[in-house]
Amino acid sequence: MIEQAGFREAKVVEKFDPFLGTNKEKTARKYGVDGVNFIAYKR
Amino acid sequence: MGALENGATVIDIGSGGGMDCLLAAKQVGPNGTVIGIDMTDAMLERSGGAARAAGFVNVRFEKADMTRLPLADDSVDVVISNGVINLAPDKEAVFAELFRVVKPGGRLQFADIIMKSDLSEDARNNTDLWTG
Repeated sequence: MIEQAGFREAKVVEKFDPFLGTNKEKTARKYGVDGVNFIAYKR
Repeated sequence: MGALENGATVIDIGSGGGMDCLLAAKQVGPNGTVIGIDMTDAMLERSGGAARAAGFVNVRFEKADMTRLPLADDSVDVVISNGVINLAPDKEAVFAELFRVVKPGGRLQFADIIMKSDLSEDARNNTDLWTG
């Protein structure tokens, strides 16, 4: 989607669990939710 | 994730209380500009107050929908965002708009959540799953 918009070199640079230690931690794991730091460039 | 360059123009999509904007303002320095974009009056009031209280003059906040930014084409060096783009009903429109405003050579760098697979209809409709 991001590259369809025109950005290039789109990538996840880091993954993390944004729900760790919260009351939604189990829900997030069950449904496969990841936190990501993301970067993409306009060349 | 890259550091924000001195003098850069940075926008924060969904700036909320403004904390990320204030941190960005420190990095870009007095020759840079940080623009927080939010659609809620309460958050704009809070973030504007926070910037004034902290003495930042290189930060401003604008009320806007992230699919219709009040910014010129090719005017932004870096787009940041923290957990907001996932909330947009039309993400394609968001990224198209971000592409419009980012300068050639500029970038997106943001934190958000992604799904490894599609949610079932029942899960989508169960707000208890996603609210505190």
